[in-house]
Amino acid sequence: MRLYEYEAKEIFRRYSIPVLDGVVVDDAHFDELDKVTYPVVIKAQVFFGGRGKAGLVKTAKHRTEAEGKIKEMMAKKHGQYVIEKVLVEKKIAFEKELYLAATIDRLMHRPLIMASSKGGIEIEDVARQEPHKILKYYFNLGDNLNDFKARNIAHEIGLTGPLLSSGAAVILNMFNLFTGLDCKLVEINPLVCTKEGTLFAIDAKVDLDEDAMFRHPQLKDMGIVARHEIGELTEREKIAKAKGIPYVDLDGDIGVFPGGAGFGIAAIDLINHYGGKPANFMDSGGAPTQDKLRAMLGLLIDNPQVRAIFGARFGGISRCDDWAKAVVHYVLENKPEKPMIMRMAGNMEEAGRKIIEQAKKEHPDLFRHIKIYAYDTPIEEVIKETIRVARDYGDGSH
Amino acid sequence: MAIIIEKKTKTIVQGITGQNASLHTKFMLAYGTQIVGGVTPGKGGQNVEGVIVYDTVKECLTEHPDAHVSSVWVPPRFAKDAILEAIDAGIKTVVVITERIPIHDMLSVRRVAKEKDVMVIGGNTPGLISPGKALVGMLPKIAFRQGRIGTVARSGAVTYYVANALNLAGLGESTSVGLGGDPILGANFEDILRLFEHDEETDAVVMAGEIGGVYEELAAPYVKEMCKPVIAFIAGKGAPQGKRLGHAGAIIEGNMGTAKGKIEALKGNGALIAETLSEIPALVKRTLKK
Repeated sequence: MRLYEYEAKEIFRRYSIPVLDGVVVDDAHFDELDKVTYPVVIKAQVFFGGRGKAGLVKTAKHRTEAEGKIKEMMAKKHGQYVIEKVLVEKKIAFEKELYLAATIDRLMHRPLIMASSKGGIEIEDVARQEPHKILKYYFNLGDNLNDFKARNIAHEIGLTGPLLSSGAAVILNMFNLFTGLDCKLVEINPLVCTKEGTLFAIDAKVDLDEDAMFRHPQLKDMGIVARHEIGELTEREKIAKAKGIPYVDLDGDIGVFPGGAGFGIAAIDLINHYGGKPANFMDSGGAPTQDKLRAMLGLLIDNPQVRAIFGARFGGISRCDDWAKAVVHYVLENKPEKPMIMRMAGNMEEAGRKIIEQAKKEHPDLFRHIKIYAYDTPIEEVIKETIRVARDYGDGSH
Repeated sequence: MAIIIEKKTKTIVQGITGQNASLHTKFMLAYGTQIVGGVTPGKGGQNVEGVIVYDTVKECLTEHPDAHVSSVWVPPRFAKDAILEAIDAGIKTVVVITERIPIHDMLSVRRVAKEKDVMVIGGNTPGLISPGKALVGMLPKIAFRQGRIGTVARSGAVTYYVANALNLAGLGESTSVGLGGDPILGANFEDILRLFEHDEETDAVVMAGEIGGVYEELAAPYVKEMCKPVIAFIAGKGAPQGKRLGHAGAIIEGNMGTAKGKIEALKGNGALIAETLSEIPALVKRTLKK
């Protein structure tokens, strides 16, 4: 779970990693701009990289200029995103840019600290062209980082004199943050060194493990909950997220109700392969509740671009009978007109089949657009039929 | 033989009193899997579907020293402890059904498992099945048929659809293994490919991967070493790109993780690439004819 820079910096403060004084401004709180020392740097709070090039980092000499530039930033759409918050920090001069990170090497399955004397936005080029300039220190979870190790790392990236101990302290604090909050990533790029010999984390990236949040209730007190990415989602993605449905909008006309995430990804490829256009990615596996299953169907059917639904349940942990109940309940309640071509097989299939047959018998009219195939129909035939049906459904004027 | 589990394999179920675990204990028993005991701390003495529940894995294995495989169904916050308990008691294969286990926990588990030479499968695995012999996990038996193709996949449903595609074309599986959907896994593609390579009941292997992670790329060099043919299906060509945070991932992994990168790595090392599910059995048949 990615954090915005201002959230990451709030965590940095708690872990004594030095950051600049700053305020967070949204369109209702311009008075915050009275609390900073000018000149300032204004940084849009977004996740995508290359903020500088995208015009999302600006400087301002005084309050009026700052307010003007922030309003300008917020008025525009950047790609599909709107800027809702900016971080305004005192502008400082610095002499040196360093790179520090703690993360997980997935090739080795081990956590590590990375450090380099050549920080800044070119760090990936450094990694490619001069890999020896990036120090990698692997460790084991549960072990402490000794002071001397932190000093060794600081020394190797060129910190000497009084900066040796302050640099080692930043490394140690970053390690404590990484291990203490179950992080996937802590990255400080750049860590700068001023003429006066002070270190500051100019940028801050923290990626938390959503699945470990239960161990860190203090994050909630800071307003960091699993839902905060909402600023960069589409309207439908926001609705999905609020309901706990993993969902991503695509641009097509076939609503995909696939079962687990893995087949959700495969289904998108298969629909594309056979000439259809998927409208979304969704994870409807992992034994969702009845309410959630109905909400998933609603999300797809309510999308005006969708002309047909492709549905699949291969019951493992998610049972066919639960799935069938939810589908029937949804159809009876919402009487959808859009065709739904689906397949159901696996655990509790027989019970599921009975539920569907019963409902079909009682409400043949409501189920006239709905087909639910069984084990002996290959899933790809179901996909092909959905694509045909979506084409025949007309121009969406139904 | 089949790999990892066969008819005579004795297994235990950790977290057996939970709702999913008890339902699937019933299914596993019905399939013929030997379940010699269950474990739920504090519920020792109860029984689930006729299986005796013990308080600890240690106690269970004292009674049943011939049990070597455990399936873990406990909630995520207890998963690390349950896996370590199984390893400590002497279990040799731990099948972790639990999903969304904290990443740092799995890193610790992996380290201990490696030290003790234990195979951990999962988390978030549907389990594995040697059709006609034994099933550990929650895979639907209808998806599988006994045969001579080994399959290994990241996702649960893809495991089922791959077997389904093979079966509809008249083929069957020696063993089908779900690696699991969590970001940090125990066993990876290479571990399972090695077992299939040495299994006399397996003629060819189907591996189904997907975008994200590096397990497919890591397995590619071993594919080249193998005598048996490998057919790969990689999902995610049309998937929305995840937004990358920070540079650290790129520094370590470069361009790994994309569907294209995975396909190229596997193809370059001799795997046959299936574009669709129905191409899988066609490619399998072609390699077996040679």
